[in-house]
Amino acid sequence: MTEIEIEVGARPIREINEEIRSAAAAGRSVVVKDTRSRHNLAIGLGEGARVRFEGSVGYYCGGLNCGARVEIGRNAGWAVGEAMSDGEIVVNGYAGMSAGTSMLGGLLHIRGDAGPRCGVAMKGGDIVVEGKIGYLSGFMAHAGRIVALGGAGDACADSLWGGEVWLGASPKSLGVDTCEVEPDPDEVFEIESLLASRGLGKPEVDWRKIVSAQRLWHFQSRDAKAWLMI
Amino acid sequence: MCGIAGRILKDPGPIGRDLVELMDAQVHRGADSTGFALYGQPLESGYIVRAVGFERSRLDSDLEDFKSIINDQGCEFAEDPVADEAESRHVSVRMVVSEIPNLPRWTKAVDEISSRFEVQSVGKSLEIIKDIGTAADVADKHGVREYGGTHGLGHARLATESSVIPTASHPFWARPFPDVAIVHNGQITNYYLLRDKLERQGYRFMTANDSELIAVWISDRMRQGMEKPEALRDSIKEIDGVFTYLIADRNSIGFAKDKWAIKPLVVMGEEQEIAVATEEQAVRRIYLEEGDVENFDGPAMTHTWPVMMEAA
Repeated sequence: MTEIEIEVGARPIREINEEIRSAAAAGRSVVVKDTRSRHNLAIGLGEGARVRFEGSVGYYCGGLNCGARVEIGRNAGWAVGEAMSDGEIVVNGYAGMSAGTSMLGGLLHIRGDAGPRCGVAMKGGDIVVEGKIGYLSGFMAHAGRIVALGGAGDACADSLWGGEVWLGASPKSLGVDTCEVEPDPDEVFEIESLLASRGLGKPEVDWRKIVSAQRLWHFQSRDAKAWLMI
Repeated sequence: MCGIAGRILKDPGPIGRDLVELMDAQVHRGADSTGFALYGQPLESGYIVRAVGFERSRLDSDLEDFKSIINDQGCEFAEDPVADEAESRHVSVRMVVSEIPNLPRWTKAVDEISSRFEVQSVGKSLEIIKDIGTAADVADKHGVREYGGTHGLGHARLATESSVIPTASHPFWARPFPDVAIVHNGQITNYYLLRDKLERQGYRFMTANDSELIAVWISDRMRQGMEKPEALRDSIKEIDGVFTYLIADRNSIGFAKDKWAIKPLVVMGEEQEIAVATEEQAVRRIYLEEGDVENFDGPAMTHTWPVMMEAA
């Protein structure tokens, strides 16, 4: 069956999202054109929905995704895939701040770099970034994996509660309460399998695996000074 | 939240129309008030003064008082003042005056009546137009779309720190530095301390708005001999809080962003012609086609874009 084409332009976003939903309900895949970096596109789509954006999108694209496959041709704005629980989102360019905020499951694949706070408060799922992740990425994440082949900016994995950050290159600096551990070969195999499932070859890198040092799990106010960054 | 924008044109053109588009696209970021700093063809002689009278019915007597104050300062009206013809209680006035022998002293003198008639900007080229309402409201009321010029700033305000009144909205003029204006997205936490220091040096702030500090602070640094890029970098160290601000003068638009990297800024275009805004979808109102977008997403960033007309 042929794709359904939807033009964004200056039209109301609600109308566009309704059209995407109807197409998905009819089992048709959708290509969205003239996106003009507009916000809140393809929110809350379920299993079976397939949407491809030809250009750049604005904030919260693919947010609350619970099973759809969403592809963004160029860049995504703030919080792409926010709170997604299932499905797959691919960003072919740069993903702005807070990509994958609070995501619970599914997969977010960013081919370019990701901005600051990628995977902030993440609670499950995987984020694969072929480039670099920005300042404070993984901040206060609880579970899930962030894999960044190009390394990370300052304060990487700051205040991580749980989950893992895997880096294929050095971070500019690590955040507070982080701990770098030597990965098991089995774990490396799992990460390489994840990358292979994304069509990425086995990278020639020395993996750096960052986890929580777990000292903030038992925060004591008398220790507050140890955590102050300013 | 607030939304900010800047625009530089290669040749003088429809700067008002472009800035209204940039702000209309960001109306959801703050619809309390909207303001514009517009830079038109610079006057060869004299200054453009923008002011707000708080009581329309008293405008004639306020203008009489204003005239007599500026006359005492060796300055006179070069054209008849023009007031907006809206229904609102407050009234926006555009004046063209002759050369001002001593602008700090002149400003201090006209500020004597600022409780009823407040000067909002003074410049050879700058005009600040700001009012309550959305970009469309303010544009319709003050004819902003019709303004020609080389560059300018826009601001959509979601008030967090002070009253929703026209004078407490952005852009802010760097009182008393001619042609300098800022727009700010964020909150400054140590503004009171820094303002206090500047007030002791004789600077005057007209509102309780935290952002009013920035323009004066940067201009004061530059008065002491600092170059603008250095002053912008210095502001990241000295000014505490969350901010991305744009500062314009006749020759450039610059920006600085705090070390927490919270407030976004994107730019499209070339050095000679750019649109910069909080949100990418706003600059896409100007550049409809896909193109290279630069995201200033990192912590502690600054940049200055020149206005080519002035440099020539």
